[in-house]
This record gives sequence, C-alpha cells and structure tokens, in this order.
Amino acid sequence: MPVTDSPADAVRTAGLRKAFRVRNKPVEAVNGIDLTVATGQIFGFLGPNGAGKTTTLRILTTLLPADAGEAFVAGADVRRSPQEVRRRIGYVGQLGGADASATGRENLLLQGRLYGMTAAQAARRTGELIEAFDLGAFAGRVARSYSGGQRRRLEVALGIMHRPRVLFLDEPTTGLDPQNRANLWDQLRLLREGGTTVFLTTHYLDEADQLSDRLAIIDQGRVIAEGTPAELKQRYSGDTIAITPSLPPQSLPSLERDLASGPFVRAARTSGDSIRLSVSDTTQAMAAAFGLLAGRGIEVRSASLAQPSLDDVFLRETGRSLRDAGPPALEDPAESGVPA
Amino acid sequence: MTFALHAGLFFRRKLLETLRQPVWIVTGLSTPLLYLALFEPLLRSVAGGAGLPAGQVLDIFVPGILALMAFGAGMGAGWVVIWEMDTGVIERLRVTPASRLALLLGTVLRDVVMFAVPAVVVIGIAAGFGFHTHWGGLALMLLLLAGLTAACSASSSALGINLKQIGSLAAVVTGVQLPLTLLSGILLPLSLGPSWLQVLGHLNPMYYAVQAARDLAAGAIATATVGIGFGVTAAAAALALWWGTRSYHKAMV
Repeated sequence: MPVTDSPADAVRTAGLRKAFRVRNKPVEAVNGIDLTVATGQIFGFLGPNGAGKTTTLRILTTLLPADAGEAFVAGADVRRSPQEVRRRIGYVGQLGGADASATGRENLLLQGRLYGMTAAQAARRTGELIEAFDLGAFAGRVARSYSGGQRRRLEVALGIMHRPRVLFLDEPTTGLDPQNRANLWDQLRLLREGGTTVFLTTHYLDEADQLSDRLAIIDQGRVIAEGTPAELKQRYSGDTIAITPSLPPQSLPSLERDLASGPFVRAARTSGDSIRLSVSDTTQAMAAAFGLLAGRGIEVRSASLAQPSLDDVFLRETGRSLRDAGPPALEDPAESGVPA
Repeated sequence: MTFALHAGLFFRRKLLETLRQPVWIVTGLSTPLLYLALFEPLLRSVAGGAGLPAGQVLDIFVPGILALMAFGAGMGAGWVVIWEMDTGVIERLRVTPASRLALLLGTVLRDVVMFAVPAVVVIGIAAGFGFHTHWGGLALMLLLLAGLTAACSASSSALGINLKQIGSLAAVVTGVQLPLTLLSGILLPLSLGPSWLQVLGHLNPMYYAVQAARDLAAGAIATATVGIGFGVTAAAAALALWWGTRSYHKAMV
C-alpha cells in the first residue's frame, strides 16, 4: 500500500486536475491544486460557487477520478488504493445522503455494518452517536419526517460512524439556521479534539474565518491563498484605521509623523481632516494611537476601522469580491465602523 | 464473505423500504388479477384457432401475465435510484467500501421477491379457475422469470443513473414497454400474427423467455425452446448486471 511522504499529513495533493466538457468546451474545474492538510486540524476550503470545491472533494473521496496529478488521503493513494481511502475517511456530501425511507437508527446501523462492524459493534456505536448528536427523540422515525437540522445531525453522525481519520464535509451548514449552525461547529471542534482531521468546503466567510485552523481560498480551480485565517488577513490586507482629531488642518502633518512611528503601524497618510493608518494589528495600534492622542490632550472626533476580512484577500487576488462571486447569503461581520 | 454480507444488508434495506409502502404490494397483486379478470374473458371469446385453442386459454395466458409481472417488478428500480442520487444516498454509499455490485443486487433481489411472491398467489388463483399446473415446470418457470426481473431491474437502475431525470426515464421506459411486451407475445401469441411480426419478435430477448415460460408451464421441460429461453435470459441478466454495476461506479448527479 503506497503511503504519503509524511504520515502526519491527512491530505496531500500535487497538481490535481479535472476538466469537464460543458457544451462541448472543456472547462477546467480543478486546475492544478496542491494542498497539504496536517492531521488533527479543521481545514477550510473557501470559494464561490463553481470554484471547484466540490470537484476537489469528490476526487479526494474517490467519487471522481482526477485527470492528472496525485492525491493521498489518510496515507493512502486515492487513485491506486481507493478502497483503503474509503475505509479511512468519512464523507458528508452537499446533498446529505440520509436514506429518507429508513429510520435514523437503521441508517446508522447499516453504515456501521458496511465498514465491517459486527451487529453488536454497530449497535453500540449507534447508541453512542444517538446520544452525542441528541437524536434520541426521533431515531426510530423514518428520516423523511426529520427537520433540516435533525437530518443534518444524522448525516454528520453517518459520516463519523466508523471513526474515520479524515472527515470531509461539503458545505455542511448551508441551509441551517444559526442555532443548528453553531451546534454543528461545536461538534466539528469536538471531533478535532478527538484527533479527527476535518476538511470542509464553505462559501461563508465567517465560517472559514472562525471555524478553520487553516484554510485555502479557491477560485476557478486554483488555490489563490493558503494559511491560517489570521495569517491570510494580515498578509493580504493591512488593517486601516481612520482617525479624525479635532485639530486645525495645519497641525495634522506633524501628528501624522508621530502616529506613523507608533507600534504596529505600517504607514500613515492624511486624507481630508482624518489620518489613515495602515496597521498590522488593529487593536494594539489603535490602543497606542489613542494613548498618544490622550497624552497630548487631543480630542478624537471620530475613529473608524476597516478590519481585514477574507473577502479582502479574495478581492486582492481575483479583483472580485467573494460576495459578488457567490450567492447573496454571504455574510461578513468583520467590517464595522466604530464611532468614537 | 463481505460481498454476500453487503448484498444481504442492501437487500434488507430495500425490502424494508417496500414494506413501508404497502401500496406497491397491493398494486403488484391487483394488476395481474385485473388482467385475469378483465382480459381473459375477452381472450376466451376470440379463442378457437390453431394459435389459441379454446379450453387452453388460461394455459397460454397465465405464463404471459407472469412474464408481464416479471417485467413490471423490475422496471420500477430506476425511479428510486434517481431519487436516491438526488438525495445523496448513492454518493454516501459510494464513499463506503461497499461493493457496487452488492448495492445493485440489493435492489435486484428485492425486485425478484416482489415478482415471485405475487406470482405464486396468481398461479394459485389461476389454478382454481382451470389453469393446468405442472409444479416442476412452474418452479423452473419462476426461476427463468426471476432472471427476467433481474435483467429489467438492473437495466432500469442503469437507465436511471445515466439519464438522471425522472422525465427522461419515464419517456424511455414507456417507449420500450409497448414494443417489448407486445413483441414477446405476452398478451397474444405471436403465432397469430403475420410473419414480419414474428421476425420482429425474434429480435426481442423477452420473446424467448415468454416462449420458454409457456413450455415450462405446460410441463415441457427438456425442449430447445426452454434451453434457448434460459440462455437468452441469463445473458441479458448478466449484461444488465454488468451495465448496472458500471453505472454505479460512476453515478453522479
């Protein structure tokens, strides 16, 4: 059985490609993707609809053969040992996958047996998951009757029935209300604490930002940025703070010079009656700037900040906003004006 | 053996699915009985020639009805497969280590049972009305027609997976249903028709199964017709299972 270079990697791909023919024209859905996901983290795969997220996931989960490149998942080669990969991974697809005409319990029991559990082992594990995902009230009913949140819980439970080393989830929170979304995030964090690697796709900026330890941003079949959410935001978009002091315009240049030499400030410029600071750490830089102003007895008329967001990263790399590229449901709480 | 275990698990899953929808069990039985009650009297009134001797109408008609049941029990599989693809069930199962043939066989075996059980009931009822029973032949006939159900079920699954749309599947199935059933001599023996019709019939694999079924029902086991019927049906079933398995390997919404 072939193994990856580093057994610590849950996923490693090199030069992954997949093209589809759409109206007789080849469309590069996945166009040379290189990824490394270390074991035990939550890895986010962020991009607009049609970016190639689902296709990549389908290649990694053995559903779709790649045209070129290689991929190792949980130490097994996706192309040469697909059966070995299947034994080691769990998958929660975008469509869900719960059998609507079977009960939740039957769904789980069958899933366990398919992975080689005995009837007794499957029953024990089903009991555990019914407890962990709070399915008890409806596990005996056919899944057709479930609410969206109940069904999603069952589907995630199905994905981890056999305690996979890597769990793949394709847009797991799409269509969930905020409460169910928060619950699912908690479940995924618990899984990570138990040592499971979680690989999820999302087009929600806040989900990628808050849930993932590391993430890759994908557009038109290519990874355009990769790192921790904080790293990416720092690397690609210095924060900007705009401060409007109550000073006459002729005093601003000297204040600008003083603020520019403050901690965590990369650059400063005067624009109208305000001074804009490009900073590497918003909170620290702002505190220092306010300290300096307070020490000189300068009143601040207003201060606003534009915290970097993952959308800024996407914007810099593609010239488009992820919000425009994706569906209107995108939300991003990172940008806010703070009146002083 | 993992393969047999998985096929058994999928079979149980499909059987439970059917038992939860008793309406299918009712129509599976009521349709052939309606044929017997409503069509057989018509047939009886036109009988009396060489192809359809009076007094043997049931003996010729019952094997045809059973073949129709075998066909009908199999052809429904595609609808459920499309629905399972749309809800992600197939995708989920394809990521497990389960064999694709086992997945296909779960449905095929369920369909065979859903043919065989009402078939036995229909034979019992027809026997009460004068259908001559040759039990050894009938047992072999059920085996033969189970092969027909398997071929239809696997083809229907393959069609569903490849067509992806309920509308397209419905168009194809209803499109082939009439020529396939008519040209197999299910309702009326093809020997009643002109020779060009009989030639067309020989191009239809189902024709051989129906001919063999009539021989078997009459107790004629060691005939060339029976041999050819089993050969053609087994080949059709093997081809359909191969096609269905291949389709499951690639199934994608």
